[in-house]
Amino acid sequence: MKCYLKYGALISPLGTTIEDHAHALLSNNSGIKQVEGSGFNNENWFLGKMNELSGDYDALLEKALGSLESIWDAEILKSPRTGIFVSTTKANMRLLPGDTFESTRTLIKKELHQEVDPVIISNACISGVVAVNVAADYLKAGKFDRAIIIGIDVLSDFIIYGFQSLFALGNEVCKPFDAERKGISLGEACGIILMTNEREEGVFAEYIAGASSNDANHISGPSRTGEGLVRAVTKTLERAGMDKTEIDFVSAHGTATIYNDEMEAIAFNRLGLEQTPLNSLKGYFGHTLGAAGIIELLSCMISMEKNTLIKSLGYQQCGTTQTLAIVEENREKELTTILKTASGFGGGNASLILKKVQ
Amino acid sequence: MSELKENLKAQIIEQLNLEDLTPSDIKNEAPLFGDEGLGLDSIDALEFIVLLDVNYGIKISDPSDAREIFHSIDSLASFIESQK
Amino acid sequence: MKLIAHSYLNRKAAFLNGVKVAHADSEQPNDFLKTYYRELTIDYPKFHKMDALSKSAFISDYLLEPFYADLVDLENKLQLVFANNDSSKQTDLKYIESYEINNNPSPSLFVYTLPNILTGEISIKHKWYGENCFFIQPAFDAQFFADQAMFSFLRGNDYCLCGWVEMNGSENEECFLFLLEKSADTFEIEQLTTLLKSYRNE
Repeated sequence: MKCYLKYGALISPLGTTIEDHAHALLSNNSGIKQVEGSGFNNENWFLGKMNELSGDYDALLEKALGSLESIWDAEILKSPRTGIFVSTTKANMRLLPGDTFESTRTLIKKELHQEVDPVIISNACISGVVAVNVAADYLKAGKFDRAIIIGIDVLSDFIIYGFQSLFALGNEVCKPFDAERKGISLGEACGIILMTNEREEGVFAEYIAGASSNDANHISGPSRTGEGLVRAVTKTLERAGMDKTEIDFVSAHGTATIYNDEMEAIAFNRLGLEQTPLNSLKGYFGHTLGAAGIIELLSCMISMEKNTLIKSLGYQQCGTTQTLAIVEENREKELTTILKTASGFGGGNASLILKKVQ
Repeated sequence: MSELKENLKAQIIEQLNLEDLTPSDIKNEAPLFGDEGLGLDSIDALEFIVLLDVNYGIKISDPSDAREIFHSIDSLASFIESQK
Repeated sequence: MKLIAHSYLNRKAAFLNGVKVAHADSEQPNDFLKTYYRELTIDYPKFHKMDALSKSAFISDYLLEPFYADLVDLENKLQLVFANNDSSKQTDLKYIESYEINNNPSPSLFVYTLPNILTGEISIKHKWYGENCFFIQPAFDAQFFADQAMFSFLRGNDYCLCGWVEMNGSENEECFLFLLEKSADTFEIEQLTTLLKSYRNE
């Protein structure tokens, strides 16, 4: 059983459609800006904050779901053969102390006229990549014919103060892998990927394989050796039956903290992927946590469709002990096979491989 | 100074949930971090920053400055004294 | 697939394969996890730093340890599949208190405001580098766990440590772990529901 991917929806500070995002990414526009008084002591942190709907999880989810009708007809959206998968770290925090995940279920069932609860994945920053891997499991096992994979998280004081308390935020638009990088810019977004077992109109990438791993090292600090990421990617390549030389491009996690980016540089060197073009999209969106994997995969799909490597925004000079082939300017390249990775709290790592449908 | 050190030990045990320890288990000169001493980690170091702010009104803006200060009870106490 | 072993704990007692191995001190109902830790003479100083979600999974996993010895290549071939309904809600609320009331966002509380941290704690304890996933589910669903285990085995794993772990501050707090192994045997999915029911009624 094969799994094909097509665009669903993408809403972020860069726009509300795939076209908006294609334009913004190809123009190297960042959605991150300085937000006055956003810190715990009123610091002016740099955030990928939306003008409308910022912090409003339910409204953002509803809006993203609303755009699906133009892609799949109502019969498909409500079909019991269509599975719904949601990647989110915190869902709707405004509902605390009530059930923060309940509105996700009710909204999805109402908007799509679905009867079955969605499968919700909450696995920190790797949730998005894991959600795609889980959806593929269901399709490959014949449990569903199609999947709607939603990645969503919004900004909140909770999240901003938390990353601030970890000294993980940088006082600038984030600069993944750069020598001057100072830390994360947080962001918010909702992305939807559609997966189908048929080569229907609009599909142009095939999901090949994926895997996850744990660093078994620390619950919040990145591994010094990149062990978990190395194992996740190695397993992904094994399952895909591919060699690393077949990878045309790596969409890395690249949060712009000193330790995360260093860990990734070590891992990709250990994997022999140091010559493969690589970027981090955090300079465009900021780190959107549970949405990150999904919106970055949608961006990879844009990159594949346009056969263009997108500049790793914020990068100027190598800032890791081992070098990587960071994409310094947009450039045309035939992109057949891409590797997406993510790493996060809890020591989790996940990766997957997509291949263009010829 | 010795009272300050005893207070620090009690606060550390409380703040970092080191329930199996009593203040007398923490030696003044022993390293707090790493495998040899108490085995505290990077998150504990960040909790130290909170502890210094809450209990002593001392603000540390860059955790990398704090490595030497947080070496041991002795170094922590001298630092707090120097800030008075 | 086949069931190798299971453990369970709630506010009253802890069990391994249906046998009670520790019970809580009724004088201090809020400290039941610490009581089990002491009663089982576990020695793991990092335990005290964990939140209740991680502590409960840690103890339940500790109980299963004797069954790990005979299994092969757990480091790579065991997947963790966990789920609950309330995510890390209790810790979320404590962390909010740290900045709203104590005026200092606590980094050590914040890192536990993700439910999957417990999979990290278990992986660190055993040096397991395998696959992990944490799901949010409205209630324990045996079919769901069986599906995830089946997918996991299809992906190439040989074992699945599954856990339903709810530490939400209510009377119904519980942690149910079961270890599944890939095999050709037909698996009676409903036995998981029956097991959990009987644990709850103990």
